[in-house]
Amino acid sequence: MPQYRVLAWRGGDLVSLLLKGGSLVGLIALSAVFALLSPYFFTLSNWLNIFRQVAVVLIAASAQTMVIITAGIDLSVGSVLALGGCLAAVAMSYWGWPFASGALLGLFFATLAGLANGTIIAKGKIPDFIATLGMLGAVRGIALLITGGLPVPSHFTATKLAGYLPESIVWLGSGHLGGIPVPMIFALLVVAVTWFILNRTTFGRSLYAVGGNREAARAAGINVDRVKILVYGVSGLYCGFAGLVLVGRMNSANALMAEGLELQTIAAVVIGGTNLFGGKGSVFGTLVGAILMGVLSNGLNLLNVEPFWQRVVNGLLIVAVVVFDQWRRRIVRD
Amino acid sequence: MVVTPVLSVRSVSKSFPGVRALDGVNMDVLPGEVHALLGENGAGKSTLMKIISGIIPKDDGEIFLDGKPVHFSSPRDALAAGIALVQQELSLVPYLSIAENVFLGRWPRKGIQVDWSAIVSGTQRLLERFGIQEDPRTPVGFLSVAEQQMVEILKAVSRPNIRLLLLDEPTSALSEDEVNRLFELISEIKKTGIGIIFISHKLNEALRIADRVTVLRDGRKVITEETSRLDERMLFEHLTGKPVAFLEAAHEGDHAGAAFALSLERFSVGGFVRDVTLKVREGEVFVLFGLVGSGRSTLARGLFGLERTEGKMVLGDRVVRPRSPQEAIALGIGYLPEDRRNALVYELPVFANITLAILSLVSRRGVLRIREEMRLAENFVQSLRIKTPNVLREVLYLSGGNQQKVLLARWLARKPKILIMDEPTRGIDVGAKFEIREMVRDLAREGLTILYITSEPVEAIEVADRIAVMRNGRIIRVFEHPKDVDKAMLLAVASGVS
Repeated sequence: MPQYRVLAWRGGDLVSLLLKGGSLVGLIALSAVFALLSPYFFTLSNWLNIFRQVAVVLIAASAQTMVIITAGIDLSVGSVLALGGCLAAVAMSYWGWPFASGALLGLFFATLAGLANGTIIAKGKIPDFIATLGMLGAVRGIALLITGGLPVPSHFTATKLAGYLPESIVWLGSGHLGGIPVPMIFALLVVAVTWFILNRTTFGRSLYAVGGNREAARAAGINVDRVKILVYGVSGLYCGFAGLVLVGRMNSANALMAEGLELQTIAAVVIGGTNLFGGKGSVFGTLVGAILMGVLSNGLNLLNVEPFWQRVVNGLLIVAVVVFDQWRRRIVRD
Repeated sequence: MVVTPVLSVRSVSKSFPGVRALDGVNMDVLPGEVHALLGENGAGKSTLMKIISGIIPKDDGEIFLDGKPVHFSSPRDALAAGIALVQQELSLVPYLSIAENVFLGRWPRKGIQVDWSAIVSGTQRLLERFGIQEDPRTPVGFLSVAEQQMVEILKAVSRPNIRLLLLDEPTSALSEDEVNRLFELISEIKKTGIGIIFISHKLNEALRIADRVTVLRDGRKVITEETSRLDERMLFEHLTGKPVAFLEAAHEGDHAGAAFALSLERFSVGGFVRDVTLKVREGEVFVLFGLVGSGRSTLARGLFGLERTEGKMVLGDRVVRPRSPQEAIALGIGYLPEDRRNALVYELPVFANITLAILSLVSRRGVLRIREEMRLAENFVQSLRIKTPNVLREVLYLSGGNQQKVLLARWLARKPKILIMDEPTRGIDVGAKFEIREMVRDLAREGLTILYITSEPVEAIEVADRIAVMRNGRIIRVFEHPKDVDKAMLLAVASGVS
């Protein structure tokens, strides 16, 4: 009688609150701890700082949410981000392209890389993590080739420079609008769009169906291959956009930027309660998850913890969250 | 002389939050007795079985094994005391041999190494004793499901102190022939004095194999009776608590004048189903009858674009060859697969499962009109009497019968020309079974053409306008008037005896 036990857990007691709203409760608890330890933590400027830091991860994690809902995983998010960002930066600073066309070029090739991921997975019938793991390496290599391994723009290549990065891209990454960081506004916009896709479009419904039960989705007439290819294409597009934001924030592109982004996005998604095995999840969970990660890293910074430790903490956090999630499922089931 | 029962269950009760799953149940199993435990889904038979085998604790009551009170806190305890449970999901290791599986976890040793010859010869003796012809060294993965199940049973009875064997729905995945072999094995085990509890929802099988039958309903015992004093009709009444209104085979439809909805000419699927030629008329319930493995499901999958096909397929007056479900659906074909698990998205709510095949019809330029989806789903929940608190409930939490109705609703929403239903009543409780058969008749009356696949002869006869019997990938015979067909004849044709 599993269903009755589930009902019992919905009693509204503390345990069930922790089990159901785990990430939000965790975020509040973590914030409270940091607020006690550092007087600077609960200031407006610090929170705006956190959001500025989180924006890039949040955009890529929104894409990761959609991919993971289809029971896939995109390990190439960081590389694709770097490809998009570097191409745009090279076009703008070396070739003198205006912002719009440079940005489109970056987005186009990032999307193309995503579509390639999806096509290899769907048509080559290989596991998602293998295809995107390969792409992680290959695309990073292409970004290195494009930039020659140097920051763009940089004084090493001063002879090639047609100009510095346009104002628009700098604004995208580090501007303010009514006191609010522009990257944060765009990241929240991306979350909203993703929510709409997941909950209000046939494509979004197909994502859940494919991830929940691939055979069933096919038997209901859903073109599973097309859904897979598209979701990775969308992931590429999002990452390309995140690349533009990151280049704008750093006022420079670098082929090695956003390394390890796959881990951060997967952590945000999983902390947000999306099922790592597909079929279930929400982008609002991911929003909470990404902020939680941002708060964690910000708090550790404020407490002067060595940055290397943050990697350790982030890695362990993912594992801990998945273990917790499995445990929660078991409790709810029997 | 009074025989001490192997197992006595005395006033056992169990509650889950919100439901009393077992209420003062008594039951005895005698040595060498096959005791069938029957009940609809939710009647409490799985709960009772889990208590006896130590998976969950009881709230109240007592359990005696060979007259001595016992208390189990884990399946391991129960096994040590001599109670073995064989579940529907088998727990064999596919890459290990029969012998290794039978002795899994208790391999005899010779020094520090495993005594392989003892394992093989021990298993050989066991196989011979129960009349199974297999080499003990065969990897279990090479065996059929039925054979694997027998190995699982042998594994249980090979324990030296085994007293009671619990078989949970052992026939659900077996063909008629395999069921016979399983029953032979059970009869052999009986002779050793082991008590057997046979859990099933197939009334005819329970009547065939059991010495006595206990029926549970809503957590209470309804009767315990000797099989010789029961028949299917009485059992059905005990199970449901309602007087029987068996479907009178309607067959009012004279479809002789109707146009053909589907015709196949020398139609072959995946190299196994060969040269099928048949014509199905509009508004007809055309039954494909055959045992498991006869090719009926393969044929259905071929029609729905899930397998490669050859030959001619005519839908209405168009020659077609669907190469994917997507194409088949566009042509007006609906398909309920043999296994619901291949069609339902369990974590999506009821409404989303119902509209899954009509997403393009409930959306505008890719944007869903959720209110319309809900309205549509609510109508189906009402008209098909789907028991769910609301349409937002995940399908996961519905009973088998209601899940099947959700699938039916999915296709009715699509308004197909032909609906293929593969074993639509398998694994659902008796009440829902009759309800679904009735719905099938109603739908045909309203003009839907239905290709109905079953391996239950009574069901075939009751629901069909015509019956085609399949064996070995071919259509052997078509019965034009199911009224004149009896169960034995169908089975004989299907199994190749006639």
